[in-house]
Amino acid sequence: MKNKEQILVDCLLRKEEVAWKEFFEAYSGNLSYVCSRYIIDAEDVNDVLQNSFLQMFHSISSFEYRGAGSFKAWITKIVVNESLKHIKKKLNFKEISDDFEIPAEEGDEDPNFEEISQHTIMEMIRALPEGYRTVFNLYVFEKKSHKEIAKILGIAENSSASQFHRAKAILVKKIKEYKMSKTAQYE
Amino acid sequence: MSNDWLNDLRRKMENHTDDVPDELWDDIRYKLFEEEKTKAPILIQMNDDLKTEKKAIKNNKKHQSLYYRIGGIAAAIAMFFILERLIDFNSKKEQSPVSEYANKSGETIYNDQKLSIDKNDGSTENSLEDRRGVIVMNSGKEKRRNQILDKNIFNKTNSKIDFWKENTFEVQTKSNDNILMQDAQRLVQTENLNLGKQQENIEESTHELLTKQEREWKEKFEDAEKARLAKNKSKKKWMVGVLTGNTSSNSTDQFPGYATLNGTTLSLPEVWSVGFEENPLMEILLANQDKKVDAKIKHKTPVTFGASVYYNIGKKWGIGTGINYTKLSAEVVSGSSDNFISSEQNIHYLGLPVQVNYNVIQKGAFTAYITGGGVVEKAISGQIKTKYIVDGLPKEETKEDISEKPVQVSANTAVGFQLKILKQIGVYAEPGIGYHFNDNSNLKTIYKEKPVNLNLKFGIRVSIN
Repeated sequence: MKNKEQILVDCLLRKEEVAWKEFFEAYSGNLSYVCSRYIIDAEDVNDVLQNSFLQMFHSISSFEYRGAGSFKAWITKIVVNESLKHIKKKLNFKEISDDFEIPAEEGDEDPNFEEISQHTIMEMIRALPEGYRTVFNLYVFEKKSHKEIAKILGIAENSSASQFHRAKAILVKKIKEYKMSKTAQYE
Repeated sequence: MSNDWLNDLRRKMENHTDDVPDELWDDIRYKLFEEEKTKAPILIQMNDDLKTEKKAIKNNKKHQSLYYRIGGIAAAIAMFFILERLIDFNSKKEQSPVSEYANKSGETIYNDQKLSIDKNDGSTENSLEDRRGVIVMNSGKEKRRNQILDKNIFNKTNSKIDFWKENTFEVQTKSNDNILMQDAQRLVQTENLNLGKQQENIEESTHELLTKQEREWKEKFEDAEKARLAKNKSKKKWMVGVLTGNTSSNSTDQFPGYATLNGTTLSLPEVWSVGFEENPLMEILLANQDKKVDAKIKHKTPVTFGASVYYNIGKKWGIGTGINYTKLSAEVVSGSSDNFISSEQNIHYLGLPVQVNYNVIQKGAFTAYITGGGVVEKAISGQIKTKYIVDGLPKEETKEDISEKPVQVSANTAVGFQLKILKQIGVYAEPGIGYHFNDNSNLKTIYKEKPVNLNLKFGIRVSIN
């Protein structure tokens, strides 16, 4: 028995317009979110998404189904890669300084973001400086190791680690500030 | 503080979506499904048309090369037969047509090789002037992008080529065909030589014309003749033979996407985990992402050598077996013109043929027979060499052994012509048709692409009893 994902892939392989439209409608929202993690400018996000869909269209024959979720993983990776390609055009990761303007505060507690909306968290991630944000996204959402990130971005492994820590510290700080402002409102 | 909250963060955000503007799909749809339809229809159509025309020429050529080759061999045998039977080789003059034929066909091969290397050059020596004219004219027209004219011209070219082919009698496009042809020529020459030798008055002069190789052949035949004299009275029942053959069909296949020879598909996720900066395959995939990607599989003509033992049962029937070696080569090129993956696959087979012959016509030295049988072939070794070309530069080269060693079974039937040069030695040619059964492997071979193929075997048979 083929599952929904496999049936979709089969239709996409035949390059049927209807299937691609359906696919676009089903996945573009999530992919747009993936892309916006990396890229701030809305027009750039759409450009990258468009390129990603074109790439999927042309390389769908190379996709190999490996169980549930593998198709989503594949398309996500294409979007991530396209996003990185786009960022790299503008940003040289080697030039990002590892100096901490803000010392990485290591709080005792993990930040609690349960009550914070996805949208707000997204805003916080997007507010991170671009270089740090890229490393953070790759580490957290793409589950890359610092070694892999270093290779992808052409930076040193310890640079990836320190940028990640800095991004994390900023985010923790932001979550705390947000919660404080919320509680302040209620008081 | 642990990093666990980051996992929670990922899970929380997993199904998050962002708004996508409606126009985005329209843009993508346009790029994927509309652009090709609307963009300069005349130009596109013409290109397609040219392609198909070219293909047609190619196919035509392929087929014709087969017919002419078979025709050529048949004619060579017939000519030889006639010369031998009717004219009786009494003088050098009468022998000359054969060698003239051999020379001429050699020349033709040379010409045609040139032609296939550089079609536009068309610098063959005889009867090609008008052809070149047509091609030059043709390329001029191409620029003008006039579809109808192009078609006409191509048709003209086509017919010119046909005409030219008929004139030149033999068309060879594959170099190994050439080698085989040359072998055949050598056989023909050797036949001449041996027959000539029987006519002692012309032996001397013929001998002078021999190359070293031919001298070796001659020595072999002399030895064989000595053996024959020694065993003159024994009844000929057993024969051994050597053969070489080729199937006529080489094949080229093109389809969109990437392809590999061992049947697996290139997988992006797998590539990704390696890190996509260093991996040449990734670079190729990335560089080609906006382009139309084609995979082209080209199977080269199989080459077979073998030795066989043959046993006559009665006057009409005979059975034979032996051992064959076959080499299959194929090439896959996937990607665009600057960024592509090129793999070359070589598989070596050892085979055991079994065949039954029925002699239809037996007149003196000439025998025409029909034959049928099968071959069981086992792949004994195979390699795939893969080259990654990024931006026109070779980036990486890998070599792997093919672990899969399938057994290939085929059935074959043919019409054979054999001519005894001496009492014990005969040369034969067997144009035939074969069918290769599916070997249930993932290997892409010409046997899979074209299970039915026409083939042509040459060989010599030596009686050993």
